[in-house]
Amino acid sequence: MAPAVARERSTLTIDIGSFAADVAALPRLGLGLGLRGTHFDHILTERPDVEWFEAISENFMDSGGRPRYVLDQVAEQYPVVLHGVSLSIGSTDPLNREYLAKLKALADAVTPAWVSDHLCWTGVLGANSHDLLPIPLTEKTLHHVAERVRRVQDFLERPLILENPSTYVTFIESTIDEPDFLRALSDETGCGLLLDVNNVYVSCFNADLDPVGYIESFPCDRVVQMHVAGHEHQGTHIIDTHDRPVVPEVWELYRLAWQRTDGASTLLEWDGHIPSFEECHAELLKARRYMGGQFNAGRSHDVTKSGHESLSTPVDFLVPNVMESAVSE
Amino acid sequence: MTAIERTADLRGLQTWLQSGLIGPQPIAADEADQILAPSARLTGSQRWSIYQRAYSSRLLKCMAEQFPALNHALGEDLFADFAREFLVAYPSESYTLYELGRRFPGFLEERRPDRDAPDGSREPWIDFMVDLARFERQLFVLFDAPGHEGNPFAKPETPDERLVLQPCFALGSYRFPVAAYYHEVRIGKDPAYPSAEHSQVALVRTDYSTHTYRVTGFQHALLQILTRGLNVADALRVLGADLNLSGPEIQKFWTGTRGRWIAAGFFIPSG
Ligand SMILES: [Fe+2]
Repeated sequence: MAPAVARERSTLTIDIGSFAADVAALPRLGLGLGLRGTHFDHILTERPDVEWFEAISENFMDSGGRPRYVLDQVAEQYPVVLHGVSLSIGSTDPLNREYLAKLKALADAVTPAWVSDHLCWTGVLGANSHDLLPIPLTEKTLHHVAERVRRVQDFLERPLILENPSTYVTFIESTIDEPDFLRALSDETGCGLLLDVNNVYVSCFNADLDPVGYIESFPCDRVVQMHVAGHEHQGTHIIDTHDRPVVPEVWELYRLAWQRTDGASTLLEWDGHIPSFEECHAELLKARRYMGGQFNAGRSHDVTKSGHESLSTPVDFLVPNVMESAVSE
Repeated sequence: MTAIERTADLRGLQTWLQSGLIGPQPIAADEADQILAPSARLTGSQRWSIYQRAYSSRLLKCMAEQFPALNHALGEDLFADFAREFLVAYPSESYTLYELGRRFPGFLEERRPDRDAPDGSREPWIDFMVDLARFERQLFVLFDAPGHEGNPFAKPETPDERLVLQPCFALGSYRFPVAAYYHEVRIGKDPAYPSAEHSQVALVRTDYSTHTYRVTGFQHALLQILTRGLNVADALRVLGADLNLSGPEIQKFWTGTRGRWIAAGFFIPSG
């Protein structure tokens, strides 16, 4: 790029108003599914009638093998968005330039409808916990995260879409509610929001908050995408397992969120004990039943009786089954 | 310094929380309760322990998936013990989980209790474990490495001067027949520990499948020269000089191998 053009481009992107306008113009994609390795063969051979896919950025940014080949095929046939788990926007480590460069290269090649990640930190001192860890919500951390969002957006030359994480702890020092924090972050940076309705349910139960109040105070006009997923109720807390169907209470919250976001693109996350593509798709299509009608909160939750705690934020679905494609000659 | 002082800024808070997550010691409950709010049912420290439990199960699961044959050989519990120690010694430092197992074979070697014993008197089963881990890591890397799919491969008529190795290729040399063991596990068998036996393999990816070929010492020597980027004609000359063999002797060996390796996708045409 010639220097004059580069300068013009960067003045444009520093204007957060343009990111906010970009976000407002993002399309409504309908009902989508997470792109998972166990479904690759089905998707390539059957070309299923699903409206869009969400690909985990880290799984494809270094891929020279089949995952990237499949993503390229999928991106030719369907709208795709990129969803990251390692941006670590809330960390106090420097932003990882190598990671951002790879993310940008992937986005340039795949041309996703948008690029998202989570309001969280994944590690510090160069380590990665591969978990989505919460930050205290204060004026100071808001300033810290906003500064980093601005730098990421400038680098990527596109708005970032940030998701409310599922959380198991809250901090005594927090002074801002999460919906207000995300609204302020969006105001300051022009970033868009991904409203994970299941995460709302999980985090609110774990922190004794009202999930309906959360959604009612959420800046739903900035929401470009929603997530729904299954969880495990432990009685004392809820684990965000992504390994089973969505519970009715979360679907009811989704009904409310659907109305308030004016029908934002919706994606089902299923990451543990992943069933067949058809089963995931059928679960996703349940969303249609909740696109109208009255919110109905009444129903008590089922607490797991196994006594065993399932895994939160499973990531092993990110590890390919290499054995499957190894051949002895 | 108190927990409150240490966590006064976000940097301090993150460093402290992380030490209790990926370090060997969980953070002290009384300290956690000063920083983390209780819920109606759990104290702050009980809430944090949800993260602690998940951290190690999550990554142990990924390790077992990256080393399925070693997991089988050791059994889940023993494998998890090694993997847990490994994750404390070498926590993930990458944005991608693909890097998680990179240092595992080296870790197994460096932690072996008989590390300082003289050659030949070390525990053979540890050699087996290390070599199986090396083999599995190599396969894992080749799975997603840049390859040549979608591009032309060499044909029988491609001259030796233009035959070069394809990019998604690796050579392995092991103290046990680890590839054979791996493939037995892959098809659902429960093979016995193999006895020590030098084995050499070539790993080649075509159509996104990684194929394992056993190779002879002679073939291995040629492939090693080829991995330096030489074409076959030049590599054969180097091999002849290295082994003090005449042109016809080398050609005789090569004629018996050439067709199979070309058919198996070892080579692409250069230039
Ligand atoms: Fe989510």
